[in-house]
Amino acid sequence: MKLRIFLLLSTLSFVLFLAITLISSRLPSPMPEKAVAGKIVWQRNNCISCHTLFGHGGYKADDLTHITAKEKSSYLINYLVQPPVMRPNKYTHHPALDEADAKNLVQYLEFVHTIPTLGWPPLLDNGSENL
Amino acid sequence: MKLFKRFSYTGKVNKTLGRKQQFMAQKISRRYCSSAIILFALQSVVASMGALDLVIPDFPSLIPFEYGRAIHLALAVLWPLIGTMGMVYFFITAELNREIYSPRLVRWQYWMVMFFCSSILGTLALRIGYGREYLEGLPIFYVGISLTLALASYNLIRTLLMDKKNITPAAATMTVGVIFLLLLLLPNTITFSNPITDEATKFWVVHLWEEMAFELTSAGFIATYYIVSGLAPRKQIEKWLYLEATLAVIGGLYGTGHHYYWIGFPAFWLVLGSLVSLVEVIPVGMLVHMTYRGLKSTKIRSNREKLTLWLLLSSVFHHITGASLLGLFITVPWINLYTHGTYITSGHAHLALFGSLGFAVLAGCYFVLSQGSEPNLKGYRGGVLAVILLNCGLITMGSALLIAGSIQTYLWRIIGMDFMEVHSILKPYLIIRVLGGAMFALGDLLLSWHIYKTWQTTRSYK
Repeated sequence: MKLRIFLLLSTLSFVLFLAITLISSRLPSPMPEKAVAGKIVWQRNNCISCHTLFGHGGYKADDLTHITAKEKSSYLINYLVQPPVMRPNKYTHHPALDEADAKNLVQYLEFVHTIPTLGWPPLLDNGSENL
Repeated sequence: MKLFKRFSYTGKVNKTLGRKQQFMAQKISRRYCSSAIILFALQSVVASMGALDLVIPDFPSLIPFEYGRAIHLALAVLWPLIGTMGMVYFFITAELNREIYSPRLVRWQYWMVMFFCSSILGTLALRIGYGREYLEGLPIFYVGISLTLALASYNLIRTLLMDKKNITPAAATMTVGVIFLLLLLLPNTITFSNPITDEATKFWVVHLWEEMAFELTSAGFIATYYIVSGLAPRKQIEKWLYLEATLAVIGGLYGTGHHYYWIGFPAFWLVLGSLVSLVEVIPVGMLVHMTYRGLKSTKIRSNREKLTLWLLLSSVFHHITGASLLGLFITVPWINLYTHGTYITSGHAHLALFGSLGFAVLAGCYFVLSQGSEPNLKGYRGGVLAVILLNCGLITMGSALLIAGSIQTYLWRIIGMDFMEVHSILKPYLIIRVLGGAMFALGDLLLSWHIYKTWQTTRSYK
């Protein structure tokens, strides 16, 4: 095999890969502004290091992809603003957010819930099947 | 070729041997490799703390778990990157038997990459980050790292073009690998509001760096090492290298599909990801075949080459088991549906990421830093002990995580128990993980010490 063929095949497959990845990542609906702001809150507080989203992230805490289907948004906002002690700790609380950030973050999680994930996770948190 | 003969010293053991003229780029590459080893030692310490944090409630720590994990993951990407830069400069000048286009650029690039790398680690320690898994540092620092990769690509391309008629397959493969590192990191310096695009581009570093770009750069090192140590004739390697590289690129690119299953991508990725992942295994098989044939027909006598071989064989072992077999198993969509996002993924990540890539980079860095010396029997045994500890620690850690993950899959994903209830049941396995991690850290520190000693003896003729 020659260098030229290697370079040609690599370039072609790379360009094609980029194209189909970008086409595939279309959102089901446009993202509301508050959800965009919530995504920044999610990132700034490094939530991904303990929680997972789409199953990717830390394994220390629950997956939050469909958390808004399980809990009411008022409960979630309250939880974030006045965080309780985290199991199995005795003293350490969940990190706290201010109210505006908490609202945006919940908006973001509500938007994430609308993204179709091909039936994953197999069970929703309330025990029903996710299909 | 002349230089290979100089490398391949198999006679008497004498420290002064191999004191031959080196290329400037090779001298500078020692800095990259020693920095990579230091960062690797740091990583195992940080990781041990994180593993302890998981099993001890209210673990007292200056850096909270979420930023400790971020530092651990940032290091997992950065030290192989820095080590690879050193390896590429060292082996490309050896392959081409000529100086790099601009040694000054290589030197500047070293300070730049170290600056941006320490900035990422420093800001994360101060709890400033950008919250994207594996790329937790602020985007501006990744712009900086892209810049260093751009300098490297430019330097390497100019080096190849200096004598167009003498471009060897190993040199070209390594150069393409570095260019891919750059191209795949660039999109990760941009902020995406679309969470699907964000997830997808993350895997261009998490998956494609490891399973494509670094595979190309390591292939260059492995080819050079096999020729030098006589494990395979140059002709045979050059015949297969481009084919292996092409398969690695195509398999790596479309194999990314196995990370795209459940992030909001269309269903055809399930088919594409699982089928193309099979292609990713072919280059591994070719490497194993070549290694097996070489080991049957050749006996390596130099302790330095033997220690490099131990590291390289560890890499090959984990490439077959943790990366390929386990990887293929959890790539089957029906299995992945249940195992995804459990400790099984974590076990696979440890076995595959460090197992195949980490060991290969360690082998390369050791080979670079020990050039011109021969470890005595005591040093050699210490080195082998370190490799054994690393392997045992990694396998203990990986198995504990896999068992924990299987229990988690059953109780959490199939039966539907509460996440935190399941997590408390996993504690015994997470404690075994800590013990495995401690063994690993011990091996890591021992190996770093051995390499530091080697660095000291070879420093004099820098």
